[in-house]
Amino acid sequence: MTIEFDHIVPTPLKDRFLQRTSEIWNNSVLLKQGEFIKIKAPSGTGKTTLVHILYKLRHDYEGDVRINNIELSGLKEDALAEMRQQQFSIIFQDLRLFPNLTARENIELKRVLQVPYYDAGVIDTMAQALGVSHILEQKASLCSYGEQQRIAIIRALVQPFTWLIMDEPFSHLDADNTYKAARLIEAECRKRNAGMIITDLDDDDHFKYTRQLTL
Amino acid sequence: MDGLHLLLKKLIRTGAGRSRFALAIVGLSVAMLLILASVQIQSNYNDLLHSKTNQDSIANFLVLNKILSDKNIGATALSDNEITDLKKQPFVESIGLLSPSRFKASIQSNSERFPFYTDIAFESVPGDFIDVAGKDWKWDPNAQLVPIIVPNMFLDFYNFQFSFSQNLPQLTQQVVKMIIFKINVYGPNGVISFNAHVVGLSDRISSLLVPEEFMSWGNSHFGKNQDTKPSRVIIRTKDPGNPELVQYLKEKGLGTDADKTRFSRYRQVVDMVVTISGITGIIMLVFALLIFSLFIQLTIASCKEEIVLLITLGASPKQLRKFLMQQFFPVNVLIIVVSIIIISVLQLATHQILLRQHIFVSSYPSFNIFITSLAVLILIWWVNRKYISQYISLSAKK
Repeated sequence: MTIEFDHIVPTPLKDRFLQRTSEIWNNSVLLKQGEFIKIKAPSGTGKTTLVHILYKLRHDYEGDVRINNIELSGLKEDALAEMRQQQFSIIFQDLRLFPNLTARENIELKRVLQVPYYDAGVIDTMAQALGVSHILEQKASLCSYGEQQRIAIIRALVQPFTWLIMDEPFSHLDADNTYKAARLIEAECRKRNAGMIITDLDDDDHFKYTRQLTL
Repeated sequence: MDGLHLLLKKLIRTGAGRSRFALAIVGLSVAMLLILASVQIQSNYNDLLHSKTNQDSIANFLVLNKILSDKNIGATALSDNEITDLKKQPFVESIGLLSPSRFKASIQSNSERFPFYTDIAFESVPGDFIDVAGKDWKWDPNAQLVPIIVPNMFLDFYNFQFSFSQNLPQLTQQVVKMIIFKINVYGPNGVISFNAHVVGLSDRISSLLVPEEFMSWGNSHFGKNQDTKPSRVIIRTKDPGNPELVQYLKEKGLGTDADKTRFSRYRQVVDMVVTISGITGIIMLVFALLIFSLFIQLTIASCKEEIVLLITLGASPKQLRKFLMQQFFPVNVLIIVVSIIIISVLQLATHQILLRQHIFVSSYPSFNIFITSLAVLILIWWVNRKYISQYISLSAKK
């Protein structure tokens, strides 16, 4: 599955973005299946905006985003849901967990939203790998931000996908936990022959990126 | 229940606005009862009007004849044109010719202990117009007995006037039916006698009725005038109080039993009850659906954030709609099933109460009840689905 950005510019920030050079904004970029893409961008350059445009949460942009040559803007509700269940998995910068569900329920919901890719036991395996087994039965709202971030990572990994989209996924993790999370993510992407798009502020060597783009 | 359903149940709580939900349920229940009751009443009413098996039908049969005046003495026969014209009228459901006997006849007792003798005339009418005809209502030249139907008022006249004046015993209907008496038919070649018995007493036609076979046999063998037009006809009509009917009779100079028009008042009351019950039911249904939609709106609004996040994470509107329909729809099915059960019980009770008064209505609810229920259920399903889809889409668009 390919992703193509064709001269996209967010409408509200159009003037500001057109004044500076970017490898993505107002440019033509083609991301191929299985690529590990790092998008590096300082604060305020539109990382989250790009992620939301790609995940079709924002519509206020010019240009086109094409998934396998199909325009993203033309996707209807049910097709969009299908895409989010089968093709695009996401880790939001603001995590977006259900505060009233336990950590396990948050993950389980994403696992059973479509025909499950994994059985339920994988939640415990992944939680153990990331050191969050002890908080699985705890309400998400009572978990620390670092714990929530790992729950959000596991949630993104229990579903089928061909692209994993991550918006500063390790922002609240220490080096050790970041390493463990990165290995798990890499393994899951390799298993699915999936690509990843990760946004961050600085350079890093969490993954062997096939391309690094500056926003 | 699958895992997703359980999790959605935890996220989308339908607790908000419970009182509104209860109100909608009460409203819908009353509405369903009223609607189904009106359908059932209408159905019973039609049964009573149109069922041929009904022994004591309130369907209206009117015997029509020309009003006798100085101008038409001796010319009261109804022409073919007049009868055809009558048949064409919308208020006439069916028409039967009353054939009078055109031979001289008398009846007399077979018993010395209970002597009576009188000259008499008969009429016959198609079987459909007789309310008390049973299996005995037939005749052929080899038959032992001639069955006769007697107007109730003849027996009343005998029991409450004649018997007193003649010092005779009063007779019940059962006793009358047991008496075998003799009919004498006078022809050019002498008298032929038949044994006869009363098979029923009726209020519908105020003549002594014999089977059509006997009448045509008698008229063809002994009739003095072979080409006589009928002077009286019987019509079956839905509403004898129909102004068109009354106007028509007046224009054509036809007379009938004016007393029967009184029934039309009761009919109009039944009609009004059915109409009011139906309209009230429909209005309540509309309000109940409105409250339901408000409840759905409230529920969805109260967990809007959860719905938005569910859609963001990839829940399809179809999945959410299915879940919400499972939350809201079953109660409607329950209400309708309970309403059908209540109406069925009421119908059984009505059947038993009316049976004591010799009025027959079915002990089972009308089939129309089920059709109506299905129609209402489809309407509710459609309204629920429409509102759920609409509010989910609104939520999804933030």
